[in-house]
Amino acid sequence: MTSTSSRWAFGSARWLWLLGCIAVIAVLPLIFQDSYWRGVMTICAINIMLALGLDFIFGYAGQLSLGHSAFSGIGAYTSTVLVTALGVNFWIAALCGIGAGGLAGVLLSVFAVRLKGHYLAIASLGFAVITYQILVNWISVTQGPLGIYGIPSPPPLTIPGVVTISFADQQNFFYLVAGAAVLSYLMLYNLTRSPIGDALIAVREDEISAASLGIRGTKWKVVAFGIGCAIAGLAGCFYASFIGTLVPDAFFILESFMLLAMVVIGGRGNLWGAVLGAVLLTVVPELLRGIGDFRLITYGLALTLVALFLPGGLSGVLIQFARRFGGGARGALSAKGPSHA
Amino acid sequence: MRETAAGAEVAAEALFSIRDISKSFGGIHAVRSVSFDIPRSKVFAIIGPNGAGKSTLLNLLSGNYQPDTGTQIFDGVDLAGKPAYQRARLGIARTFQKIRLFKHLTVLDNVIAGFHIHRHLPAWEYVWPSRAAALDRKRCHEEARDLLSFVGLADRADTVAGSLAYGQQRMLEIARALATKPKLFMLDEPAAGLNNAEAGFLLERLDTLRKQQMTVVLVEHNMELVMNVADRIFVLETGRQLFVGTPDEVQSDPAVIAAYLGEELH
Amino acid sequence: MLDLLPIFAQQIINGLVLGSIYVLATLGLTLIFGVLGQINFAHADFMTLGAFAAYFVARATGGNYLIAIVAALLVGALLGSIINGTIFSPLRNADETRPLVATIGVSVLLENTTLAFLGPVPYAFDSPYSSQVIRMAGLFFTAQNLLVVVIAVLAVGSLYAFMKLTFVGKALRALAQDREAAGLMGINQKQLIALTFVIASAFAGLAGAMLGPILVLTPFAGASVIVKAFAIVIIGGFGNIEGTIVAGLLIGLIESFTTQFLSPGMSDIVVFGLLLLTLAFRPTGLIAERREENV
Repeated sequence: MTSTSSRWAFGSARWLWLLGCIAVIAVLPLIFQDSYWRGVMTICAINIMLALGLDFIFGYAGQLSLGHSAFSGIGAYTSTVLVTALGVNFWIAALCGIGAGGLAGVLLSVFAVRLKGHYLAIASLGFAVITYQILVNWISVTQGPLGIYGIPSPPPLTIPGVVTISFADQQNFFYLVAGAAVLSYLMLYNLTRSPIGDALIAVREDEISAASLGIRGTKWKVVAFGIGCAIAGLAGCFYASFIGTLVPDAFFILESFMLLAMVVIGGRGNLWGAVLGAVLLTVVPELLRGIGDFRLITYGLALTLVALFLPGGLSGVLIQFARRFGGGARGALSAKGPSHA
Repeated sequence: MRETAAGAEVAAEALFSIRDISKSFGGIHAVRSVSFDIPRSKVFAIIGPNGAGKSTLLNLLSGNYQPDTGTQIFDGVDLAGKPAYQRARLGIARTFQKIRLFKHLTVLDNVIAGFHIHRHLPAWEYVWPSRAAALDRKRCHEEARDLLSFVGLADRADTVAGSLAYGQQRMLEIARALATKPKLFMLDEPAAGLNNAEAGFLLERLDTLRKQQMTVVLVEHNMELVMNVADRIFVLETGRQLFVGTPDEVQSDPAVIAAYLGEELH
Repeated sequence: MLDLLPIFAQQIINGLVLGSIYVLATLGLTLIFGVLGQINFAHADFMTLGAFAAYFVARATGGNYLIAIVAALLVGALLGSIINGTIFSPLRNADETRPLVATIGVSVLLENTTLAFLGPVPYAFDSPYSSQVIRMAGLFFTAQNLLVVVIAVLAVGSLYAFMKLTFVGKALRALAQDREAAGLMGINQKQLIALTFVIASAFAGLAGAMLGPILVLTPFAGASVIVKAFAIVIIGGFGNIEGTIVAGLLIGLIESFTTQFLSPGMSDIVVFGLLLLTLAFRPTGLIAERREENV
């Protein structure tokens, strides 16, 4: 457990990690100046947000959500339609996108809370299919399969007399998304180490004895879905703005499986595993562009093998390493481990 | 229904009143029209042969099962329709026959989970932690360690719960349940699988709890434990009440002895 | 009003045919869940591979559809045996979501490997019966449709007979009811579970062979049906064979009518809406009973 004598929940080791991450983020667009790799980094940041939300739901609350991408789609379409059809300011539209994603998550979980394991998984899948079909068929609003074109980047932020930040600039947009990803991480980090996190983990580990401690399983599952899906909604808003075009296919079931793969391969239940998985599954396929269609074959194989042999994912492997070879790294890396049996 | 003269006084100061509780599963009547009162600050034991319905009865009291008929009044509150988590918040704590710990968490974290209903800071205090949150966490840790000392696990605070010995896991479950600061503490066969030394320690801890005015309900097979610690014993057989009274009265009642068919009761 | 009658009747026929395919597709899923409590997410891809096996064997034997069906059965059975041995058996005592996640990986792997070898262009799988149209009382159906229904009835009938009359079948039902007790009675669980997978996946292969000539045959053919198959399994009650049959036929009918009277896109929404409603109000399925969790 973290030191209780310190005034902040953050021990000094964690401040170091945070500053290090911020430094890396600041430096990345300066190293990679071409628009292709800057695009990859931006997508990576978006995927990190998505994976974090899913880890909160699956890794911490133990709810297997197989349709996470749908919530991203709901956020994306909500903000995009508001901006393109109604001329709403992007920032306000993004807030609506967050709200829409979160609300949808709450809706699903209200259905799903009494369900366990497989039932919940199938319900989430069904929800994702319905969402996709609505996006495809509600042509008057979503333009259907043809999609919405010409989505603008967020309007510039002006600090009067000091600077105007234009988000049409790829570098600034990256900072925006990466900043949101860092904030999401921090928020989830603090939540998971609070009584809220205790409740989620208790519900995950054993819902019945959690109830005997006064912890209401249904309530916390809804909380987990609400927060995780709200973050997904925000990620969707950024995605729409970044790509400039929005089609329902971007949020199809396969995308949800990719997010699941990120969380499983990276290791669930400790947040940084989700980050690791997201980075790996976004960047590595780009490095291996040459193998083309084998990308998905590799995903499938990796997901199967990790689920079979490495229940803790890559972060689990790294934690084992740290336990064996270094006591110092242990404090920073380990967390309340999820059930991996 | 057979009861002693002391029964009438019991009702007056009862913490938990149960009237005409029944529960059946399919065609099986696990509990049939059972009524009793649990007196405050005493140890109330529920015993009976295998299959008598003891665990079902406990599950009905804790809210894990809802009764088909009957009423339950706990500390003046009608429990009709209230599920387990609400009863826990009202002050009913329990342990389980099959140990249900959070096996992948540490011993300390298991106990801290038990404090959940007593941590009252608003959610936003945790999103960016404030001094209040840090102090709250500190207080929890200290109280958790106190509870661990009470059950003899103070030195195992950072061990993963699943790696504890069986007897220690039982005591951890007790510490975790006590963290909810209950008015009523129900234990489902806590002595099962414990060796003599561990059972003795459990007995002594239950006795201490009783001296601290805790009301305890004990479902148990271990007669030595029951006879030594119980103030009042309720005997259940095939879902019906057979007898209720003090340990001495229970031991000398012919129907009870017959029900146990020659088993030693002392 | 009366002129709607033939359309109505036609949709009933279409619905029953579609429903029969769904029943074949989902029986395997129900079996596996009933006996093992697990879901094989790659079940759909077993269907696809069964369809392709039937396609290639039919071509190799100069159009012998019936041999092709047998080939599909065998391919399915083999795949079922493999996935049991590699995934479900080793993970039997693990956290229950791990096999599901593993089979999601297998599904992605199978789909894309098939894609790599066979390409995305749909294969024209014409069974010799697809073109034989039968007219009866103003209604149309192809011989293929009739064959589908006949085979479905035969398959389900044999499964039923197997479960109720043979010793092994009864052992399977015992296993589904209470794994622990069945184990104590000397029933060899591992072999029974392996058998379950073989039967269930053979059904998947069979469904694929039936589906090939009717749907568009691509590496993702099975995937288009699978999500609906899950819906059917839940609506009928996980592990409940009678329920699955009723639900399968019901969904086939609903889909047929929605496609005709509303729009094709709406049929998915209606089916999944029904799924979510079922989950909300009767999560154990329309037919199964509720049980309180054993504490």
